[in-house]
Amino acid sequence: MVEATEYQIPQRRILTNEDMEKWQSSATHDEIIQFTTDLADSVNGKDNDAECHISQSTQGVLDILEAVHNIVKNHPVIQDKNTTRFGKVEFRDVYDDINDNSIKIINQDLPELSKIKGATEEVSIYFNESWGNRTRIDYGSGHELNFLAFLLTLNKIGLFNKDDYSAIVLKIFKNYISLMRVFQKEYWLEPAGSHGVWGLDDYHFLPFLFGAAQLSTHQYLRPKSIHNKELVEELHKKYLYLECINFINSIKTASLRWHSPMLDDISIVKTWKKVSEGMIKMYKAEVLGKLPIIQHFFFGSILKAPEGCSSPSSSDSHQHGDGCDHDHQQHQDNDSDKGLPLHQHTWGDCCGIKIPSAFAASESEKTKPIPFD
Amino acid sequence: MDLDTDVQMEDAVELDTSLEEEEVNSTGDYSFNQPFQTKEGPPPELSSQNINQLDEWIEHLSKCQPLSEENVRRLCKMAIDVLQFEENVQPVNVPVTICGDVHGQFHDLMELFKIGGPCPDTNYLFMGDYVDRGYYSVETVSYLVAMKVRYPNRITILRGNHESRQITQVYGFYDECLRKYGSANVWKLFTDLFDYFPITALVDNKIFCLHGGLSPLIETIDQVRELNRIQEVPHEGPMCDLLWSDPDDRGGWGISPRGAGFTFGQDISEQFNHTNGLSLIARAHQLVMEGYSWSHQESVVTIFSAPNYCYRCGNQAAIMEVDEQHSRQFLQYDPSVRPGEPTVTRKTPDYFL
Repeated sequence: MVEATEYQIPQRRILTNEDMEKWQSSATHDEIIQFTTDLADSVNGKDNDAECHISQSTQGVLDILEAVHNIVKNHPVIQDKNTTRFGKVEFRDVYDDINDNSIKIINQDLPELSKIKGATEEVSIYFNESWGNRTRIDYGSGHELNFLAFLLTLNKIGLFNKDDYSAIVLKIFKNYISLMRVFQKEYWLEPAGSHGVWGLDDYHFLPFLFGAAQLSTHQYLRPKSIHNKELVEELHKKYLYLECINFINSIKTASLRWHSPMLDDISIVKTWKKVSEGMIKMYKAEVLGKLPIIQHFFFGSILKAPEGCSSPSSSDSHQHGDGCDHDHQQHQDNDSDKGLPLHQHTWGDCCGIKIPSAFAASESEKTKPIPFD
Repeated sequence: MDLDTDVQMEDAVELDTSLEEEEVNSTGDYSFNQPFQTKEGPPPELSSQNINQLDEWIEHLSKCQPLSEENVRRLCKMAIDVLQFEENVQPVNVPVTICGDVHGQFHDLMELFKIGGPCPDTNYLFMGDYVDRGYYSVETVSYLVAMKVRYPNRITILRGNHESRQITQVYGFYDECLRKYGSANVWKLFTDLFDYFPITALVDNKIFCLHGGLSPLIETIDQVRELNRIQEVPHEGPMCDLLWSDPDDRGGWGISPRGAGFTFGQDISEQFNHTNGLSLIARAHQLVMEGYSWSHQESVVTIFSAPNYCYRCGNQAAIMEVDEQHSRQFLQYDPSVRPGEPTVTRKTPDYFL
């Protein structure tokens, strides 16, 4: 019998380079890597349509995603529909709506969790941060990490077991990505902390990681197959990696070599197995190893903070000096910079220049109003 | 002030200087504790040997081919010898063409020179952000630095918030150097050089040019002159603000959503221009769809010179010409035609070896 856990509201704990070192050798870091690796292994050679066991918890999370989708439908873009290419302000309403209702939705769809006192409150923090940043209206691999952490907390509480892993990737995670595409498309989410052309992708990391595992035993598809447009168009519904390539092709102009040299470089790797192994190493270094991302990560009783790292940051220490009377934070924003201490600006991960999403560019091509004659 | 605009290439006076081959800040960690003071007086002038060398590099770079690491090292050393003599508020004469962010879009920079006229026949003032995000940051910054050393009185290159060690490690320039040179040495050489870039310029005492915007800690241009700029861009304080702030529709000072610098309203801009006898603040730092954008009833202009930013934003780019009579003209342009496929050969990233 597991000892009764005192659940708590997770807080940020990684603030300095010293914290980062402790984080990278911490149990929570290893658990995330292990969970990611296990999930990837569970879909080796399986396409999106492969049969998998749908447990009650899996169905519960799928229902939760559907509930989020419904929230999105309640907040269509009205203001600045055609006049700005930047992130749409209605995203903030969706963010707030999710924050206000997540505990209710999670308890409703995961009744087993609702019976454990304090558990939903703790896991909902990760869930709430899975959709993007309220202030900046952007999204990146750090938000994606929160969704992974949400699944990991459910796993650690005991809602999943190893039999569920392939469904976690092929159903839950796949639906999460589809839902994120809706968010990105509807609200023109800007890419958070984009490395420009030198990053893997504007938004995501994990579908490439899981997607490479799916393809790792494929008979004839090779990493270079991403350059075969017909093949990608035909197979993108079956493989997460190809869905990403298809998505990029659909919204960016010019060739992959121009706008995605990293993906282009990876395409010369001989086997998908090698790509799959490399993705884990890269995730460790480029996502879990980056302070600008991990400084926003939350620790509680399930995903424990590394021993000896900074104490929880207070939520009102970010003051910019006298003379500012703007109220930028009318609504609660868990992931705003205000929780960071004075010397911990987040400009490492957000240089702040507003960059319209690729959607903004491709969509605005289509939405030019018809001129009067 | 009278200006003889017919004099071309006056910089290229042949005088020998001793450019020893010593290492330039290329080892050890970044030491900010011993601030390097800018030097007074005229910079050393170029030897004919150096002129030839620079012309060769410029020719090479203009084909979008990167310099060797050794040549980058030599170029950066020569550039420090020039830039350390420049002021925090570098004086610039009219006529001059003022440009905004470039962000590694080399072919669009060549387009800019086509639209605005070739340098050194046209005087240029760039307001920072040469690197990050684009495909050719190394070639872009190498080219502009080589031009600066070759024609120091014809081109002024200010520092942007992306000319920093921290920011370039996140937004692509570091990755690009690693990818193109196999080590971070070239990134180190350039980011050490960035510390010497002037942070503002003053065109004919009338147009104050800088990358970001104003600072609540700076009321007069003289206060900018007193800063020690030879350091990594700090996280806060006046130098940080000058590179990070943005104009805003709301009055007064506001918290910047960027997490560094401030937003400043029309009242602030008007007061600053009045106090310092200015007609205009010209700045870059924000993507504007038409390439330029007025704010604060024409007391501030934003100029952005990277068309179709990140190869997908669909924005126009612009530059602003200021003539001898101080009249201003904006030249807008679209992305250059992309020349086939990139010249960089594919290379397996280390993670996948």
